[in-house]
Amino acid sequence: MTEEESLEKLKDAIIKGDSEKAILLVNESIKMGIQAKEILNRAILKGAEEVGNLYEEGEYFLPDLLMTGDAINAATELLKSSFGQESEIESKGTILIGTVEGDIHDLGKSLVVSLLKGQGFDVVDLGSDVPPEEFLRKAKEINPILIGLSGLMTMSISKMIETVNLLKSENIQSRIIIGGGILSKESCEMVGADDFAKDGWEGVKKINNLI
Amino acid sequence: MVKDWAASVNRIFRTIGGSKRVDKVPFLAFAGEQMICRVTGKTVKELYSSPKVYANAIISTFEFLDTDSINVPSAYAGPIEALAFAESNNKLDAIKWFDYKPLMCKQGVICKTEEDIENLEIPDHGRNNVWKNSLLTAKLINEKINFPQVISLSIWSVVQELRGIDAYKDMRRNPDLLLKLCEKIYESQMDVYENWLEIVGMPPNVFIAGYSFNRHMMSFQDAMRYEGQFIKRMMNKIKVPFMLHNCGTSPYFTEVVEEIDFIAVNGSHPLDIEYWIDFKKKHPKIVIIGANIDVSREMLTGSPSDVEEKVKENILSLAPGGRYICCPVCSLPWGVSIPNILAIPKAIEKYGHYPININ
Repeated sequence: MTEEESLEKLKDAIIKGDSEKAILLVNESIKMGIQAKEILNRAILKGAEEVGNLYEEGEYFLPDLLMTGDAINAATELLKSSFGQESEIESKGTILIGTVEGDIHDLGKSLVVSLLKGQGFDVVDLGSDVPPEEFLRKAKEINPILIGLSGLMTMSISKMIETVNLLKSENIQSRIIIGGGILSKESCEMVGADDFAKDGWEGVKKINNLI
Repeated sequence: MVKDWAASVNRIFRTIGGSKRVDKVPFLAFAGEQMICRVTGKTVKELYSSPKVYANAIISTFEFLDTDSINVPSAYAGPIEALAFAESNNKLDAIKWFDYKPLMCKQGVICKTEEDIENLEIPDHGRNNVWKNSLLTAKLINEKINFPQVISLSIWSVVQELRGIDAYKDMRRNPDLLLKLCEKIYESQMDVYENWLEIVGMPPNVFIAGYSFNRHMMSFQDAMRYEGQFIKRMMNKIKVPFMLHNCGTSPYFTEVVEEIDFIAVNGSHPLDIEYWIDFKKKHPKIVIIGANIDVSREMLTGSPSDVEEKVKENILSLAPGGRYICCPVCSLPWGVSIPNILAIPKAIEKYGHYPININ
């Protein structure tokens, strides 16, 4: 198998969301002497891009995005552990994310976390039902480039306002995005966030735009 | 003024039935536990503890909001169904209670593993305290104000509570396991129905919380596979008209009504009124419950006159010809001002009397 063929097969495994095959093919590519950055750019990220297009075209759906997210995470983790610092895979930045206090839904947030990791971000996931003070404490500790507040319930809007107010009053400079199906431009302005997303995929696209 | 519930019953059920003998557009609102707590000052646990207290609190809340609808918010296949599963499977740590809003389930905890699904015990709803009190509350409301209570059932909302994000991965990696879970939830939902029949009586309608019918969640084929086929089975057993609720941002309403015989649809989206005008043209016999009075826009940040304008637009666009129920999208959040809610029945009084004067 040539270098080109190996990377093409890895890209296909990413598109199909086949984590096991992706791991095998990453190992194979490493044995062939292909550099980590080449594997990442020519296979993993290309596959991710194609999956994004398939989702936008209505060919792929949330389950496909999740499977691909898992495959990307497995492949990039293996690259990092195999090459160590020589992998030259640089993080695009750290993102702090969580579902606001009083809301323990995490479907949309988990999707965003999975996809952001696959795109090269370091993500610190605080989980769900996160008090404003915890967002603040962690933001001070890790200085993220962006903070994502998730909430499914209509009642979460007031807690988003409280969290954003606290972060701003403590002079946290990170961009802030809020996510949830109940949000609108008007409620985003009311919360004081930089942007909003109504579903996970839109969230990932907007986060890329924001930073 | 004493609320005329008999007039509301006529208004809402005649509209659902497609009758021409309707005086004005009905007003339906989803007022959950948080709204009832807000209006009555009671905690959720106080409400759930006694059918009498709960029924009185619900009646006074819906009367205060001047709706034509009334329902027991907990008698719904969402968090309370998760609670029932948590209890019957010794996983109560998955449940978090709040004082002034409904309890929530940590998604994906109750059916974390394949073994959890294989061994999942179906709850006995007649023995679960919250379910039993909710059903007794529905019965009391029937008796007190003679308002037949609609039963709410679901498959996918319960799947999400029990299995969480893994349910979506199962679609690709283990569809048979996911179908097994859906089958167990179907069995549980039929137990809810059997208990409803025994305690409350025959419901006039079934309200399906069909959360799977959403383009951004799954393909239409998957929605039919993991929820639609079970709804069809429910329809074969429960011989009353079914209504579909979906609160996703890109619903499959047009697709699903071709496959399943729903009498009404209710959604939080799309917010474009043209979508609903087009839907009404294509499906004139299906009742629209909605359409785009947004709880996160005009209801939350606007004024009563903004809400009035939106209600007027909805009525003029969708009420001519009947089969339209005015309803804000999604449940009323804590932060919405009461004058904004009350602007809806006021606007209906102004613009919603039949025949609708579109000039």
